This record gives sequence, C-alpha cells and structure tokens, in this order.
Amino acid sequence: MLRIAGQVLFLLVVAIVLREMYLNATFQLGQRGRDLSYEFMDSRAGFGVKEHFISYTPNRSFWNVFWVAVTNALAVTGAGIVLATLLGTFLGIARLSPNWLLRKIAQGYVEIIRNIPALVQIIFWYVAVILAIPRLQDSISIFGIAYISNRGAAVPSLRGGDDFGAWGLFVLAALIAAFLVRRWRTRVFDETGEPHYRFLWSSGTFALVAVIGYFVLGDPWTIEVPEIGPRNLLGGIGVSPEFAGVLVGLVVYTAAFIGEIVRGSILAVSKGQKEAAEALGLKPGQQLRYVVLPQAMRVALPSITNQYLNFWKNTSLGFFIAYPEIVNITRTMTNQAGHELEIFSLLIAVYLSVSLAISFAMNLVNRGIALKGVRT
Amino acid sequence: MSDEIRDREMRGLREDVSAAHLPETGRIVETAPVKEPQSPLEWVRYNLFSGPFNSILTLVTGFLLLTVVYQAFGFFFLNSDWRVIQVRVKGYMVGGFPLDELWRIWLSLYAVTALAGFSAGPTIRRPSRRGIVVAVVVAVVAVAIVGYAAQSNLVRLLAAAVPLAFAVGAVVGRVTPRGPRRKVRLWGWILMFPLVMVVIRGFDGVPPREWEGLFFNLIAASVGIFASFPIGILLALGRRSTLPAVRGFSIVVIEIFRGVPLVAWLIFSKFVVDLMLPPQLNLPDIIKAFVVMTMFSAAYIAEIIRGGIQGVHSGQYEAARALGLPTSRMMGFIVLPQALRATIPAMIGHFISLFKDTALFSAIAVTDLLDSSLRLGLEFLGQEAQTLVFAAAVFWMIAFSMSRWSQRLETRLGVGER
Repeated sequence: MLRIAGQVLFLLVVAIVLREMYLNATFQLGQRGRDLSYEFMDSRAGFGVKEHFISYTPNRSFWNVFWVAVTNALAVTGAGIVLATLLGTFLGIARLSPNWLLRKIAQGYVEIIRNIPALVQIIFWYVAVILAIPRLQDSISIFGIAYISNRGAAVPSLRGGDDFGAWGLFVLAALIAAFLVRRWRTRVFDETGEPHYRFLWSSGTFALVAVIGYFVLGDPWTIEVPEIGPRNLLGGIGVSPEFAGVLVGLVVYTAAFIGEIVRGSILAVSKGQKEAAEALGLKPGQQLRYVVLPQAMRVALPSITNQYLNFWKNTSLGFFIAYPEIVNITRTMTNQAGHELEIFSLLIAVYLSVSLAISFAMNLVNRGIALKGVRT
Repeated sequence: MSDEIRDREMRGLREDVSAAHLPETGRIVETAPVKEPQSPLEWVRYNLFSGPFNSILTLVTGFLLLTVVYQAFGFFFLNSDWRVIQVRVKGYMVGGFPLDELWRIWLSLYAVTALAGFSAGPTIRRPSRRGIVVAVVVAVVAVAIVGYAAQSNLVRLLAAAVPLAFAVGAVVGRVTPRGPRRKVRLWGWILMFPLVMVVIRGFDGVPPREWEGLFFNLIAASVGIFASFPIGILLALGRRSTLPAVRGFSIVVIEIFRGVPLVAWLIFSKFVVDLMLPPQLNLPDIIKAFVVMTMFSAAYIAEIIRGGIQGVHSGQYEAARALGLPTSRMMGFIVLPQALRATIPAMIGHFISLFKDTALFSAIAVTDLLDSSLRLGLEFLGQEAQTLVFAAAVFWMIAFSMSRWSQRLETRLGVGER
C-alpha cells in the first residue's frame, strides 16, 4: 500500500514538473505569437545544403532537409564503422604480433590517439591536413582518372543508361547463380574431398553472368571519369573535404578503441585453442583466421557495438567543421523557422532510433555467431 | 612472493630468476625454460627477422616509421614557427583571466598538486632504471616547454614551484601514519573542489564567464565529475528499484541522456531549455550548460554503477537480509561499497572521456583550450597546425597521466582479483 502511494506521489511530482515546463513553453511561445506544432516542417526550407545523398533543393520542405541531415550522418557512420573495424582489427592483431617493431608502433598509435579528444583530431585533419592539400586547379591527379584537392576528392563512377535497371536484375541473377555454384562446390568437397576452389568458381560465375548481361543489353552503363570544374570536381563519385575530415578523424579515433577491444578479446581466447590449431598444422594466419578470431569475435561484439553507437553519436562532431549532419542542419532549421522545441525533439528521436537500430542489428549478428545451444 | 625476492627485483638483480620458482617447501616445480640472456644481435634476429614474413613486415613498418619520424622532426624543429605558442600561452592556459587575479589559479594548482603528492607519495617505490630514464626525459621535455613558452621569469619560477609542492606533499604523506593519512586523503579530495571554487570565486573573485582556456576544461571536467556522481548513484539505484514507476523514470532519463550526443545537449542548454523554464529565472548560459553536462555524465555513471551492482555476489544480499538490514542500509553499507570499488577503472575511464569532451564547449561560444587554439588573429594566420598540435599535446598529457594513474590504482586495489 505504501509502495503504491509512494510511486503515485513520485509520478505526480514528475507530471507536475513536466506540466510546468509545458506551460512555460506555451506561455513564452504565445508571447511571441507561436504555438507548438510540427506543421512548419511541411513548408519551404529555403536554404541550400552543400552535400546531400538524397535529392534536395532549397525549395523542398523542412522534412526533406531533415532527412538530408540524417542520411548524411548515416553515410559517415556506414562508411566509418566498416573502415574503423578493419583498421581496429588490424591494430588489435598488430599489438600481439611477434614482430617487436609492429607491436610497438601499434601500441604507440593506440596510446596517442586514445588520449586526444576526437574533436581536436577531426579539426586537425580538416584544417591542418585536408585544407592544406593543393587547390582545385593544382589537384593531385592519379593517372588522370581520380583527383584529390582541398575542394574534395573524386574517383570514377558508373553512369547508368536506360537499361541500368535491367542490368541490375542480371546482377541479382548472377549473385544467385554464384551462391548456388558455391553450394555445389562445397557439396562436392564434402562428399569427395576434391579441392573445392569455391571462391574462384563463384566469383567466375558472377562475372560471367554480369558480363553476358552487359553485352545482351548493349552498354547499360558507362564509366564516368571526374574532371576539374571551375569550382568543384565534376562527375565521378566524390567526397567533400568536410565528409573526409569527419570520416578520417572518427575512423582513426574509433579504430584505436576497437583495437584495444580486439586485443583484449584475442587474449581472452584460451591459449589451448591456439596450441591445438598449431598442433593441427595450421599456419599462423590460418590459426588466427579459423580458430582464434571467430572465438574472439564473440567476446568482442558487445564492446564493439558500443563503439559503433559512439561512432554514430560522434558524427555530431561534424558540426564543428560545417559538415551538414544532424546538429548542423537542425541549427540552421532553427535559425530559419524557430520552433526550437519541435526540432530538438526530432533530433532526440532520430538519434535514439538509429542507436536502437544499430543495437538491434548487432544483436542479430551476435545471435548468429553465439555458441549454439548455449543460453546467455 | 617474499619480501626478499621483491627487493631483489626492485634492485634490478635478475641473475637469480629461477629462485622465484622455488616454493617454500623447496620442491622444484617444472616451469618453462628460462630464456638465455641474448646478445643484441640475437634479440634483433628473434624479434624482428625470425622469418621471411617477419622480415618484410619489419622493413615495411620500419620504412613507415622512418617517414613519420622524418616528417615529425621537420614539423617540430625545422619548418614551423612556434612563436605563436610563446605569445599566446597565457590565453591557452587561462584565457582572459584577469592578470591581477592569477594568484588564485596558482594557489589552487599548488593545493591540488600538494594533495596529489600527499596521496601518491607513500606509494612511490624505489624506481627501476627504466623508470628513472622515463622520468628524466619527461622532466627535460617539461623544462624545455615551460622554459620556452613562459612569458617571464616570474612565471618560470611559479611553474617550478609546482613539482616542489608535489614533493613537499609526498614527504608529508610519507611521514604521516597510515590512519590519519587515509582520512586526510579522503576528505582532502572531497573538499578540494569546493575549496578551489572558494579560492577562485570568493573574496571578490572571478565570475564563471571569465573562466577560459585549459583552466575552463579542467573546471568543467571537475564539475562534471563531482556533481554527476551522486546523481549517477541515484539513477543507478532507481534503475535497480523494484518500484516500476521509479525504474521506468530512471530508464527513460538514462537512455535519453545517453542516446543523444553531448554537442546536441550543449546546444539544447543554450538555445532550447530557456523556453521550458520560468522566464524570470534567467540563468547564465554556463550554469545551464554545466547542469546539462552533469545529467549527461550522470547517465553514463549510472550505467557503470549498475554494472558494479550487478557484479556484487547475491550471497552478499542474502547475508545482509539475514542480518535484518533494511533495503536502504543493505544498499548503503553492503552493496554500494563493493559495487563502487569494482567500478573504479571504468569510472576513471569515464572521467577521462568527460575531460576530453569538455573540448565540445566551443559549440556554445566558450573559449576553452581548443577554441582559443583556433583563434589565431592576423599575425599568425594559417598556423593552426602548430596551435592544434599544442592543444592536442596538452589534452594528451592530462588524459594519459589519468589513464596511467588508473592502471596503478587497479593493480593496487586488486580489482577483479577477489
């Protein structure tokens, strides 16, 4: 009885505080002749965004520019966690290498990078490294097909023609065919013990079907080589200096943490496992690839998930170098439209939902690699 | 390990290593073969060129390392003009803090280092040869930097008094008997922050809007540490509570503050939160920012402590119940002390990242160390590389010493061993 009364009282206090905040907000907004509503989000945004992965013009709505911000942040996160995982895994393994020099360099990297704020590093990469590379007119050219300048970098890309969609179906078919061939080779290997050459067979099948599709449809795409334009690099797939700054800064930073996690997890795999692999005659690379790393991954995954979540939240540091991510764009939205509360609530919602999505996806991965039949 | 062996090892006498494997009974235990002492050439062969793959690896990484060292050498000693640091160093350290009031900061610095010396002094052992080398290198670098950057001999003298304060503290700490020492240490650290606040603000002191530079970063981190700790404990207990209302509330608060990045929260504190507070309240920006940062930090601390509480063995709860303790005392006297002890490493890790996060305050127009290193003025235009490297080095030194201290504490407390 007392428990229930106490909880009711607690909730009552919380409700009164929240109500007070709500009344304050509506009162102050009322004085300025505004109200709490999300209708403004449908009106014209009216400001340009330098970089967007979905189509956008200043005439589109606030919703539209908000999604631009979210996709920009997601793009950095997507590319970043892949790169940071690769670099981090390499660092973790390097820290345990029998090679003294490599081990010490990896250790130095981790000790230095971990203890400098990510923001300082991002600004350093952006201001002191990326903006210091040659100007657009003097771009560094890589065989005349890719360019690096302080206005961004670009590499050749595919430009789809009319039949690009149809070719996509061919690629899909090629993937399925490659998968089936791979299964077939595995079965042959399991049954007869002949060398399976799975990778060669399946990639060959994929390439064959895709190339047939290319010739059947008659040039469904062409390769677009970037050129130096008057103000920017034109064509190809490019990244802006801001994107590069956030990406490089956060990858370098996060990799140091992932490296420590990987190192700890490898050490956590019992020594007997490695000795057993050695006794079976596996080479050092194979011991790592087939015996130690798969087990280490199980230990590492929860901590690595945390690093992915941190990465996602750290994209907000792009704000400081004017990368159009969520904090930056919502600031501009607030300057244009007011409605601070509504916009901030959207910001909270999107950060929380992407975090939840990452946790969920990583939980699925975790279930995939967890020991079968063991309940955790 | 017996005292005699420990003494030997400390004196660097290694010739009799195998004696360490002799247990008290005198029976010889089989151990891995003791490695023969190696000549430098053998060491190189074994560690760098043990096989073709290893040799290639050594050559490639060696080449990379040389390139980096070469570039860094050029940057530090040949191609850069470091005058900007010399001219601006006061700005980086304390910003626009009034010159006449600087004694307040020096005084606080001496107090903190003396207490640090008092706490660390008794744990200092006779250093190994390697320790001496490291200490000498650090001292030389520190003297060189301070000597170069300081603007007057008075500053050099005042800076030289900092290690002196540490030494005095260490000596006093060593002669103080264990009982009083622990009490002074505990209360010293608890009272240090309020004391510093009084020295800075009290007696016609300096208001928060004039706290700038590294001094601001340190104060902000300390505020975060001290204020968020009790709130974090409350949130952690709330999350473990059996009352659904309290638990739900704690979960919502923790997850919302943890799920949104600190930059967004700081901007919230400056531009949004005013709308929800009574108009007549009119808090200064920096106070609102500190409150929001405290909540952000408390959410993380709550999760760390929750982990610690979950790690306390269930037998401890049962024993407390068997003694008839009510929940509040069980938590306060049995569970929390054990939980907190187990979380010390994670806690220091969080404080390090909180300190690093104080760089984000430039988002709300606070001239912290990072922000002031980006304000170059016409004279030094385009010299961000130097100032940023300087700021990074300062952040690094503090964060790195904290992490080293945490490692020492971990071994001394034997966390994870009981």
